[in-house]
Formats: sequence, structure tokens, C-alpha cells
Amino acid sequence: MNFRSRQDVPTAEDDDLALVQRARSGDAEGFRALVVRYQRKVYAVALGIVKDADLAWDVAQDVFVRVHRGLDGFKGESAFGTWLFRIATHVAIDSVRRERVTQRDDVDDVHEGDLEDAGEGILSTSLGNDPRETLLRHELAAKMEAALATLPEKHRTILVLREIEGLSYEELAERLGIHKGTVMSRLFHARKKMQAALRGYAGVPHRTPAPADVERRATEREVEE
Amino acid sequence: MRSCVRIAPMIGSRPGELPAEDARALAAHLETCAACRALAARFEATDGLVAEALLARANARDFAPFVDQVMARVGHRSPRAAARTDRRSLLDALRERWRIAVPALAAAVVLAAVGTFMYGGEHVVAEPEQRLASLEVELSGEGSIVLQTSDGPVVLLAPDDDTGS
Amino acid sequence: MRRRIAFACVCLVGIVSAPALARAEVPVHIRIIKGSKNGPAKMDDSLLVLKKQLSPLAYVQWTQETDEKRTMSKGKIEFFKLPNGDDVSLQLRDEQPDKVTFEVVLLARKTHNKLTVERGQRIVHQVSGEKDGSAFFLTVIVWPDAR
Repeated sequence: MNFRSRQDVPTAEDDDLALVQRARSGDAEGFRALVVRYQRKVYAVALGIVKDADLAWDVAQDVFVRVHRGLDGFKGESAFGTWLFRIATHVAIDSVRRERVTQRDDVDDVHEGDLEDAGEGILSTSLGNDPRETLLRHELAAKMEAALATLPEKHRTILVLREIEGLSYEELAERLGIHKGTVMSRLFHARKKMQAALRGYAGVPHRTPAPADVERRATEREVEE
Repeated sequence: MRSCVRIAPMIGSRPGELPAEDARALAAHLETCAACRALAARFEATDGLVAEALLARANARDFAPFVDQVMARVGHRSPRAAARTDRRSLLDALRERWRIAVPALAAAVVLAAVGTFMYGGEHVVAEPEQRLASLEVELSGEGSIVLQTSDGPVVLLAPDDDTGS
Repeated sequence: MRRRIAFACVCLVGIVSAPALARAEVPVHIRIIKGSKNGPAKMDDSLLVLKKQLSPLAYVQWTQETDEKRTMSKGKIEFFKLPNGDDVSLQLRDEQPDKVTFEVVLLARKTHNKLTVERGQRIVHQVSGEKDGSAFFLTVIVWPDAR
């Protein structure tokens, strides 16, 4: 197992590794400490992906059971947290895909039509440079979970991992088994959809494109392809 | 517009995530394209809100039973269950010395109750006999959330409705 | 005969100590700490003993603002001033051989919380709303010295 060299103040990773060692040697308190340390964040990731609070609880529990089972196999090549959330991602995705009703998959590519109404923002429309922007941020945070739930699973997942775990494009590509370019365009679509969902909560009417526009865009796409 | 299609997925990237050439192209495009600039501003304004919302939900939930449930599933008894066993052992030890311990204990309890009544600022209201939990909580006033850990409770305040405090 | 004398002595001790039991002085260790969601994750060395209770929270940076040891008796209220100017009061409501009940009152928020903990357990109580990603907490642990 690779250990980082000790610094003046032990890092969180060093602490995790110490607890892993204790848990491996049968020390229940060591494993318990790991669970308590990560339980809420694992639950938050699960909740973002599976949407349902009770299912997220069960998923989070499953994650730690699997972690316990796999402790002997954890080699320390990555940080414990990274390993843990890798398991959490897969358990959560498996769980939601088992229950998912078949739906049309969104394409990941970005087209011109995706950039329509790019000038209209929730904040820019409602507030401009209004100092109440901070208040709206708090209000929006309260609506985020509902807005997130309207997204397809793969968009929810990538947004949740990007924001809660702070994963980079490369890390997201590795975690989800997709190309970096797909990560970027999928994140773009996810954010755009969130903006559209939140627009409803901010009282900004959705812009429905006129039939002529829809036909024109479809023609443009055909020409591109 | 075609360059917008190429640039759009780069919006929201963090420093170092794009190759230098793409980073320059993004910066140059944002200087000239108001629509993409607006889009970048929107993304930035809502960046982090998903995490904030989900973690707030996680913090608001009572996680007291979570770790015990996990430990039970992986086959470990909770420290509290172990502590209950220890308390029973103490009672067993006392029972061995009942001839002296019980009368003395009874006398001390009676005297303590009398002393408390006479000297305490408040009456001690006798609680109904019940199994004592390691933690009892009574909350009143504005919302509070209690997390129970083996080291003791953590009480969080419900988020403010306004941003004044 | 010896047993009767022993029993009488115990009763005498009980009579003498009853008032003391009722007005027991409880040594407590109280801190005001600040949790912040901003900045790098770190914790003051003096707060490492609180790690188990603090690490599940969303705050990543922890600093100690005040650190005091006081002796509290039942009914006595202690006041603490927070760095943001708010006041919090702590009162010992009940005291049993191995557990104690505190009431925490946040005057600005009209919050009254009564918590009973076992010997060796610590109460960590948020005492201010979150502002700019930071909030203050009060920690209370009784009988800090093993007896």
C-alpha cells in the first residue's frame, strides 16, 4: 500500500488509511468511524442519482456493506474516498437503471438548437445586477433537488459527481467510462436542462420555439450531418 | 454560430482542464460573443447549488440509526449494545453484595430526594420508570435537527429563511 | 453488630452528603468553535477530539474561538458571547450520577433545547445561523477529568 509522507498536520487521507487499517484488522470502531465520516456525502450522491430519499438510504447502506466486504482488496492506489465514491456511483446507477422505465436517450452532441435563448438567464432576467441575487441563490438552492429530479439519469449523475465530488473532466471520464469530449457535452446538456427547469421556479416563462423555427433547425441539422 | 457549437461544451471548465489552445479559443470567443458570455454567467451563478441542496438534505436527515444498521449488516454489534451488557454486569456485581449495598443504596436515594427537595431551585419531577436512553432531547422554538453520534449529539439549526444572520 | 455500625455510618454519610448531592458542582469544559464551508479542509489541533462529531457535517474548516472550564451547579445559568455579538445561555437542568441535562437557549432565535447526555459524551450545538458559509457552535462536555 502506498502511503503519503506525513506532513505537520495529518491529511484527511492519512486518517482514512489509518481507519482502513484498523477496520481490516477487525476493529469495528475503525469501520464505524469511516461510515460516520462519509455517510452523509454518500447519501447525498445517491439521492442526486436515484431521486428517492428512502431508496438513497438503502443505496448508501449497500455501498458501505460492499466497502466492508471489499476492504481487503483496497490497495490504497487511490484515496479511500475516491474508491468509496466509485462504488457509490455504480451502486446508485445500477439501482436507478433497474427501476427505470425505458425512455428515449438524449444525444450527447451539442447542436445549434441547444444554444437558442442562451441570452435569457434566471438571474439576468429576474435580477440583473440586483443585490437580491444572494437571496435568489438561496431560494434556488431550495428548488434544486426538484429541478434535478426532472433530468434524465445520466445528466443527473454527471452533474452530481461534478459538484459533490468535484471530479474533473478526466476523472468523470474514467468514472463513467466515457470520453472526455462526451463528459463536456453531457455536462453542458445537464446544466442547460437545469437552467430550463429552474426557470419555471423563478417565474420566467419557458420559450416554446415557433413551428417554423423547429422546421428550420431540423433542416440545418440534416445539412450538418 | 458554428463556433458557438464548438465552444459551448467548454463553458464551465475549470483552470487546467482544457488544453492551452482550447482555453485560448474559449477566452477569445467569450470576448466577442454576448450569448455565450451570458451562458457562462448563468452556469457560474448556479455552480455549486446542486451540491449545496443535496448536502443540505443529507444534513437535515436523522442519521442516528444509519451506522448501527450498517454495522448490524456487516456483523458488528453497536457500542451501545455492548455498553448495555456492561451495565448488566455492574448490577450482577452489586447483587453479590446485596446485604450491605441494597439497604445503604435505598437510604442514600431517599436522603438525596429529600435533600434535593429542600435545597434545589426546582422540584425534581420524578420521571416514569423507563429504560434510560443515552440521549434525551427536547426541542422547542425554531427548528433544530439532532444528529446522534457515539461521542454525543450534534444539534444543527434549520437553515435561515432570510440571509440576515 | 459490625454490620449495624456499618449501616449506621452509611446513613450518616447519606444525611451529611444529601445537600451536597443536590447542589453538586459539575465541572464542564466549554468551547465556542467556528465551522466554515470555505477554504481548505483543516481543523485546529485542539479540536481533533471532536472529529467524530464534526466530520459528518458540511463544514470543512474548524477553528476554536474560545476555550473555558467552568463549574456549574443546578439551576445556574451561564452566558456566552459569540463573536458575532449574539448571546447563548447554558443551564444545568438536571444532574444524575452518570448523566446530566443541559438547556441551551439561543436568545436571538428563540430556541430552547434540552439535551441529556451520559458521562463522557459531548454536546455540539450550532448557536448561530450560517452566514457566508460559516456558523458558530458551542461544545459542552462534563466531567472532563476522569474520576
